[in-house]
Amino acid sequence: MKKRGFWVNATKFCREFISKPQGRLGLIILGLFIFVAVAAPILTPYDPIDDLYLAEGMAKPAWAKVLPGNSKLPVTVHTRLGFNEWQVASGEDLHNAEEIKENAFAIKTTPGEFSKLVHDVNYKTDPPGNFHFETRYSIDASEETTTVLAFVIVDPNGKEWRLWEKKIFGSLKPQDLLIDSRQLDLKTRLGLTIFDEASKVIFAKKGQYKVLLRAYSEGEPAIITMEPVAVNIQGKLHGVLGADHMGGDLWSQLIYGARISLIIGIVAALIAVFIGTAIGIASGYIGGFVDEFFMRLADVMLSIPTMPVLIILSSLIGKNIWNVVILIALFSWTSTARIVRSQTLTLKERAFVEAARASGASKTYTMLVHILPNVIPLVFAALVLLIPGAILYEATLSFLGLGDPTTPTWGRMLHNARSFGAFTMRAWWWILPPGLAITLLSLSFVFIGNTLDEILNPRNKERA
Amino acid sequence: MNFSSYILRRVVYALIVLVVIVTINFFIFRVMPGDPVRMIIDPKWTPEMKAALYEQYGLTKPLHEQFFIYLKSLLTLDLGLSFTSSRPVMDELLERLPNTVLLLGIALFIEILIGISIGIFAASKRGSSIESFVTGAGLFTHAVPTFFLQLVLLLIFGFVIPIFPIRGTMAAPPPVGGWAQFLDRVHHLILPVFSLVVINFGSWALYTRNAMVEALGQDYIITARAKGLTKKRVLRHHAFRSILPPIVTLIFLSLPSIISGAVVTETIFSWYGVGRYLLDATMKQDYPAAQGAFYFIALATIICNFVADIVYGLVDPRIRVGGGEGK
Amino acid sequence: MMALLEVNNLKMYYSVRRGDVKAVDGVSFEIEKGESMGLAGESGCGKSSMATTLLRLLPNNGRIVDGSIKFNGQEILTMPEEQFRKEYRWQKMSIIFQGAMNALNPVLRIGDQIAEAIITHENASKAEAKKRAGDLLEMVGINSARYRNYPHEFSGGMKQRAVIAMALACNPDLIIADEPTTALDVMVQAQVLEAIQDLRKKMGLSMMLISHDLSVIAQTCDKVAIMYAGRIVEYGPAKMVYNAPMHPYAYGLLSSFPDIKAPKSPVQSIPGSPPNLLEPPSGCRFSPRCPLADAKCRTVEPELEHLGGNGHLVACHKAGQLGKVGERA
Repeated sequence: MKKRGFWVNATKFCREFISKPQGRLGLIILGLFIFVAVAAPILTPYDPIDDLYLAEGMAKPAWAKVLPGNSKLPVTVHTRLGFNEWQVASGEDLHNAEEIKENAFAIKTTPGEFSKLVHDVNYKTDPPGNFHFETRYSIDASEETTTVLAFVIVDPNGKEWRLWEKKIFGSLKPQDLLIDSRQLDLKTRLGLTIFDEASKVIFAKKGQYKVLLRAYSEGEPAIITMEPVAVNIQGKLHGVLGADHMGGDLWSQLIYGARISLIIGIVAALIAVFIGTAIGIASGYIGGFVDEFFMRLADVMLSIPTMPVLIILSSLIGKNIWNVVILIALFSWTSTARIVRSQTLTLKERAFVEAARASGASKTYTMLVHILPNVIPLVFAALVLLIPGAILYEATLSFLGLGDPTTPTWGRMLHNARSFGAFTMRAWWWILPPGLAITLLSLSFVFIGNTLDEILNPRNKERA
Repeated sequence: MNFSSYILRRVVYALIVLVVIVTINFFIFRVMPGDPVRMIIDPKWTPEMKAALYEQYGLTKPLHEQFFIYLKSLLTLDLGLSFTSSRPVMDELLERLPNTVLLLGIALFIEILIGISIGIFAASKRGSSIESFVTGAGLFTHAVPTFFLQLVLLLIFGFVIPIFPIRGTMAAPPPVGGWAQFLDRVHHLILPVFSLVVINFGSWALYTRNAMVEALGQDYIITARAKGLTKKRVLRHHAFRSILPPIVTLIFLSLPSIISGAVVTETIFSWYGVGRYLLDATMKQDYPAAQGAFYFIALATIICNFVADIVYGLVDPRIRVGGGEGK
Repeated sequence: MMALLEVNNLKMYYSVRRGDVKAVDGVSFEIEKGESMGLAGESGCGKSSMATTLLRLLPNNGRIVDGSIKFNGQEILTMPEEQFRKEYRWQKMSIIFQGAMNALNPVLRIGDQIAEAIITHENASKAEAKKRAGDLLEMVGINSARYRNYPHEFSGGMKQRAVIAMALACNPDLIIADEPTTALDVMVQAQVLEAIQDLRKKMGLSMMLISHDLSVIAQTCDKVAIMYAGRIVEYGPAKMVYNAPMHPYAYGLLSSFPDIKAPKSPVQSIPGSPPNLLEPPSGCRFSPRCPLADAKCRTVEPELEHLGGNGHLVACHKAGQLGKVGERA
C-alpha cells in the first residue's frame, strides 16, 4: 500500500481529532491517567497491597488536621533516623561509619561509662497507635567485654521507658533489632498488662520526648554499629487519602488502581474486538450457515443476563484478574461482530473485492488482505467504546467482592470501604476518589470513542 | 409475513435461547473443575440426606441422563434445596420476587416517565440548554458506575444526613398498622429508586430526544405542520406516535439489563430480593440456590425479550397488519 | 382585480456557519384565482424553499429577510403564528410535498390523517370528518373502505392520490404542489397529474406547481416562472415562455428537455453548475455560465422587466438579442 498516503491520512486524522473539543478533553484525561499509571512508584512510596499497618486502621488523611476536632490527632511518622538525626550525648562518636559499613553509624564506648545517642522529639498530639522501630546492629569487641545495649524513650516527666535491652558478651554479627508496641515481652518489661497499649501509655503526655540508644560496656571499649533506624508510628492522620482498615495507604491504592483499570479495560476490549472482528468478517464474507450460526449466537449472548452470569462464572473459575478479563471479553464481542459484519457486507460488493475474487484469490486471503484493512478504522472506534464497559464490569465485580483480592483495583477499594466501616466513619476520602476515578477514566474513553466514531464511521460521513 | 407467523418465529427463537441457557446453567456447575457432587451436595450433610439428593438429581447416572432429569425438574419448577437454609430454592425466590419487582418496577416507571418527557421537551426546544442537559445526563448514564452513585447517595442520605434507612426492605420489626407499614415501605424505597432514576433517566431522555429529532425532520411532520395542526399535536400525535414502537421495544429490551443491575442495587441497599439472593448464594457457594436464581433471572430475561418482540409487533402497524417488509 | 396570492420582493435566507445562504432573494409573482403557475428551475435554486416560505414552515435556521406575501390582499408574513396556523394553513393553502410517499405518517391510519385536518380547521364532529375523509378518498379513486389502512398497505400511486385527497380536505383556495410526481413511474405520473388537473378544474382551485420537470409544468400550468439561484429570471404565460424564451437560462433549460411535439433536435444541456448561494456572483447570477454575458452582465444585476408584452417578464440585459434565436418552431 502507499505508505505516504497513509501518513498524510494519519496527520489529517490527528488534526481532525484534535479539532473536536470532546476528543481533546478525552485525550487530556486519559493522558493524565496513563501518566499516573506509569509514574505510580514515583507518586507513592508504598505498595498498595503489601504495605500494611502504615497508620492506624481507618486513619484520616493528613490534611484533615485542619478540620475541626482533628488538630490533636497524631500524624503517622514514617521515617529513618540516620546518623545525622542522632546526637552523641556521651561516648566516643565514630562518624567514620562509612568505613565500617555503608549507610550506618557507630559509637565507641568507654568502659564503665554510659554512651548515649539521643534523638529529640517534640510530641504535641494525642497518643498514636502502635509504633514500630526496626534496625540492624552489630558489635565489635573483645571476648572479655560485656556490653549492655538499650533502646529507651524518656517522656517529658523524665520517666524512662526501657523498650528493649540486651546484654552481649564479646562481638556480635549484624542482626535485626525489632521493637513493636504490641510485643508481649515489651509490655512485660514496661510493667504493663497485656491489654494495655504501650503507645497510649508512653505517649500519654505532650512535650519533649527523648529517644535514647544507650550502651554500657565493661572491660574494653566496644564499637557499636547501627543502621539507620526505621521508625513507624501509626498515626490517626496519614498520607494523602488516609489509611484503610488494615492501615494500608489509600493514596497508593488509588494510584496503582489506574494501572489495573487501564490494563483490564484495554485487554478485555482488545480480546472482545478480536473475537468480534473475526466473527464479523467470517459471517459477512462467508455468509450462509456460518452467518446464520454466528448471528444467532450473538442474539443468544445478548439474551443472557450479563452481570449474573459474570458473577457465577467468576466465582466458579476462581478470583484471578485474567479470568475476569477473559469473562468480560467473552460477553462483549457481539456489538463489534454486528458492525464488522455489516461493513463486510458492503465491502464484499465493492469492485476491488470482486476483482480479487475473480482473480482467484482464496477466501482467507481476501478476508485478510482486502476486507480486514478496510474494517480496521471502524473496529478501532468500537474498541475504544468497549473499554469503559469493560472497566465498569470489572469495577462492579470487584466491588461485589468477586475480584482478585491481591490486585489493587478501584472496585476492591470500594468493596473494602463498604465492608470495613468507611460509611459509618463517613470516610468520604475513601469512598469518593476511586468512584470518581472510574467515572473519569470511563468518560475519557467515551469521549475519545465518540470522536473516533464521528470521524471514522462511514455512516456519519454521508450525513455530513 | 403475517402477525401470527411473526409470533411463531419469536416463540421458536425464545425457546432456542431457553434451551441454550438451561444447557449452560446445567454444564457450568458440572463441567467446571472439581467434583460435581461436592458442588451440588453440601459436604456437611448426613449420608442419608446425601443419598436422598443423589436420588433426586440422579447423580449416579451418566451425564446425559442427568441432563434430562435436570430438565424435568426445571419443568416442574423444582430448583432443589438451598444448602444454607435447606429450604426449596423456588420458595425462597418466590418470597423475594415481589420485592424485586416492586423496586425495579417503580424505578423503571419513574425513569421512563421523566426521561421521555425531558427527551420530548428537548427535541421541541432545539439548541436550548435543556439539550446539553440531556446530552450530559446521557453521558452520565454511560460513565458513572451505578454502584458508585448508590454508595454516594447512601453516604450522604444514610450517614451524613441520616434521613433514609441505610439498609433493608422494611423496618425490623415492621411498624404496626397498614398505613404506617406502607409509609415504612416507601421510606425504604426512596433511596434505591431515586438512585436508579438518576442513573438511568438520561439514557431514556437522550434516546427519546434523538428519535424525536429524527422524526421531526421527516416529511410527514412537515406535512402535519402544514395541515395547521397545533405544535402540541404535531409533537405528541405525529412525532411521538412514530417513535413509540422503538421506545416500547427498548423498554422491554432494557428489562434484562435492569434485572441484571438488580444484583448490585439490592446488595448495596440490602434489599431482600432475587438479585441479592443470587450474589449471596454465589458467595456462600450455595450452588443450588445460585443456579436456581440464575435460571430464574435468565427466564425473566427471555420472557422480557419475547414480550418486547410481541409488543413491537403490536405497536408498529407495519408488522401488526402485515404487507410491510417486517423484520 | 386583486390577485389571490401576491408575492413581492421576497427574501428568505438560511443562516449557516459561514454566512447566509440566499435561497430566495427578491422574488415577486402573482397567482390569480383559478390560475395555475409553474415554478421551474434546477435543484437547489430555491424553489422548494419558496413552498415552505409560503406556508411559513421554515426550518430553525431559515428566516424571512424582506418582502411581503399577500393572500387575498391580506399580509401573511406579519400575522400572528396562531392565526396563520388556524386560518391559513390547509384552510386556504395546502401543500403536496416533494416525495409525497413520505408525507404520510407510517404509524397512523390514512383516513385519520385526512380527517384530522378537517377536525383542526372546521367545527366538524369526528364522525362527520371521517365521512368526509372517506368521500375525499373516493374522489381520488380510492375505495373509502380503505380508510383504516396504514400507508405501507398502499402502493406508491395510491399514496400520492391519498396525499392529494388530503390536500383537498379543507377546500383550500391554493394548492402548492412541490414535485408531486417525482418518485412515481411515468404511467402513474400521468394518472396523478390528470387527477390533479381534473380536481383543480372541478373545484376552481389555484395551484402553484413546483417542478424541475418542464414537461410536467407545460401540461398543467397557465403561467410559468423560471427560477435561477434564488431569483426569478423569466416569468409569463406558459405558452409565451415555452415558445419564445427570452432569458438564456430559460432557453437552455427549455432546450434541454425534449419537446414531444417539436421535430427532433439535439438535446442541449447548460454547461457549468448553479452558483453557490452563500456568495452569489455579482451582476447577473447566470453570467458565469451565460454564452452571451459581457462586462455589464457581470456587474449590473438585471431587473425583471416587461419585455415580451402580455405579462411576459424577463431579467436579462441581453433579452432582446435572444428573441430571434429563441424562437421555437
